[in-house]
Amino acid sequence: MTQLSKAQLLQAYRTMRTIREFEERVHAEFATGGIPGFVHLYAGEEASATGVCMQLRDDDYIASTHRGHGHCIAKGVDPIEMMAEIYGKVTGSCKGKGGSMHIADLSKGMMGANGIVGGGGPLICGAALAAKYKKKGGVGVCFFGDGASNQGTIFEALNLAAVWNLPAIFIAENNGYAESTSSTWSVACDNIADRASAFGMPGVIVDGFDFFAVHEAAAEAVRRAREGGGPTLVEAKFMRYFGHFEGDAQTYRGADEVKKLRQEKDCLLRFRNRVTSSGEVPAGELDAIDKDVLALIDRAVAQAKADPKPTAADLVTDVYVSYS
Amino acid sequence: MGPPSVTVGIIANPSSGRDIRRLVSHASVFPTAEKANMVQRVLAALGALGVPRAVMMPDLTGICANVNRAKGRLHASPGLAWPELEVLAMPNEESIRDTLEAVARMVEREVSVIVVLGGDGTHRAVAAKCGTIPLATLSTGTNNVFPDLREATVTGLAAGLVALGRVPPEVALRRNKLIRVTSSSGVPEEIALVDVCVSNLTHIGARALWQPETLSELVVAFAEPDAIGLSSIAGLLRPVSRDADHGLYLRLAPPRSAGLLATLAAPIGPGLVAEVGVATIEDLAPGRSIRLRTSTGTIAVDGERELEIAAGDCLVATLTNEGPYTIDVPRTLSWAAANGALHATGPPQLSGSAHRQRMLADADTGVAPSTKEEMR
Repeated sequence: MTQLSKAQLLQAYRTMRTIREFEERVHAEFATGGIPGFVHLYAGEEASATGVCMQLRDDDYIASTHRGHGHCIAKGVDPIEMMAEIYGKVTGSCKGKGGSMHIADLSKGMMGANGIVGGGGPLICGAALAAKYKKKGGVGVCFFGDGASNQGTIFEALNLAAVWNLPAIFIAENNGYAESTSSTWSVACDNIADRASAFGMPGVIVDGFDFFAVHEAAAEAVRRAREGGGPTLVEAKFMRYFGHFEGDAQTYRGADEVKKLRQEKDCLLRFRNRVTSSGEVPAGELDAIDKDVLALIDRAVAQAKADPKPTAADLVTDVYVSYS
Repeated sequence: MGPPSVTVGIIANPSSGRDIRRLVSHASVFPTAEKANMVQRVLAALGALGVPRAVMMPDLTGICANVNRAKGRLHASPGLAWPELEVLAMPNEESIRDTLEAVARMVEREVSVIVVLGGDGTHRAVAAKCGTIPLATLSTGTNNVFPDLREATVTGLAAGLVALGRVPPEVALRRNKLIRVTSSSGVPEEIALVDVCVSNLTHIGARALWQPETLSELVVAFAEPDAIGLSSIAGLLRPVSRDADHGLYLRLAPPRSAGLLATLAAPIGPGLVAEVGVATIEDLAPGRSIRLRTSTGTIAVDGERELEIAAGDCLVATLTNEGPYTIDVPRTLSWAAANGALHATGPPQLSGSAHRQRMLADADTGVAPSTKEEMR
């Protein structure tokens, strides 16, 4: 429960705004046919990745999901390289060979977006086990969705993390739907957080639209993990703004559902209202960030479009890692 | 048998018992299945007394679903009779607005009693809308002050006795105190049933308060020395009962600093016994307003940050005697004992083939048991 400095508030806003602008732009560009493959957008969920990752260091690891752009940006991956990756260009985070669902940057502790639903849990147990052996207070954070919460991999990971008392934090991002299936139907217990008690770890629920709520809960969970207190499960409840993937007709949602969310719950709007009404940050400084971010994303898209694609010869590079 | 119009409302908050206190302290986790069991125990008690109808707030997390499933199996338990149970047909937002809406509808229907399952926060929401309808309070967890931590069957019996008029209200009911928080110009902002606390934390964040060094002022409606939470600070210094007509106002300061009235160890949360410094403590008479000194920070009501103070705001806390009526379960059942309100009269009930046949027939036609004469 630390008080945030003005610099931290500005950083939080910049990160959330960058994610939002990035996703809104990918949404628009995808519709023009310029982006290969599938993309799953994180808009609406910014407070979760930002609130959690602001508690992390570069040597902490996160495992992400198929909806990973927000986690990447919040963990410090360069948005210009990310955009190039999504466009499949050699300048991308993974030299254009991964695409949206495989963006990774180990120098930032980002172990990768992941096309396998529930794939992040076992990965983060490995990272957390390594951190435990290194004894430098490092932690691993697994982001996963409500769909993944029903997968065996997540149950195995929760069990392993508890048995080995790993410095692992499990962030269940309950965005309302596993593809087109409502989580209120598909999650048999009432809350994903309730499953924590079965593994002997604390489980808490936070309002995932509220940066401050996520940030505070993450602070306690990360502190606990760093101090050897073991794993925690945090469920952030919110709703995504776009479809499961771009092109999803979303016939399973109410007509005004997203419109209402954007008007009443939006994390950026709430953050702005709060820090300006409390007098902590003048609105002008937030406007300046909006402008900066817009310019950054403009540049990212322009560069990504102009950059070259990998060649056929690149197919056989980066296949094996040399440990020598 | 009670008059056919007698209806008991049931509010069971699906989301109580899940907040950050599970992480920062060792607060109890209260599963939905247990809330559903408690509702069934309340219904069994109401049914045994012959309360004809109950209405319940809907929820999407499974309390109502569990209860409805049990209702479908009632024929397998011939000793059980429930009131006719209706789940309110209303939109469900999965927020506190559901509770507010459900209580408003129960008020419209003139229910006799509302049974509330939840914590201090749930009871506060109900209190905001229930008017003079008495509440039977049930705590879902160990983290609360206002509601009773009691077996639901017993609370259900007391609720039924009051609803049916078999124990007089002047015996059964207590009028509670309430703290209103308003802006300095009088605009209502919040109410509290137990305490109002000023914190220097600038954001509502995860709501709970668990670090004593962030607290500066405390207003309590009552202060029990055996309470959990912030009101225990006052309760361990100068206890004030729920029936006393005053409350307390305390100014807090860093523990062991100079000029303090006391530094005490208080259980400010489950598993959290913290040193708290108290600078001043004074009685607060009903109607008296305290202008809170802070100009930045948050106001917590009943232990949860609810109001963020905007720059330039000034807030006022006022103690009133206009809180909700609650059923005093020990007093109600003592009176029932002394006056034979639960003595069986007439033929034996709740068993035997005639009763069982009727329950089976009702179950087959999908009609809830409505005839209570035989059961009483």
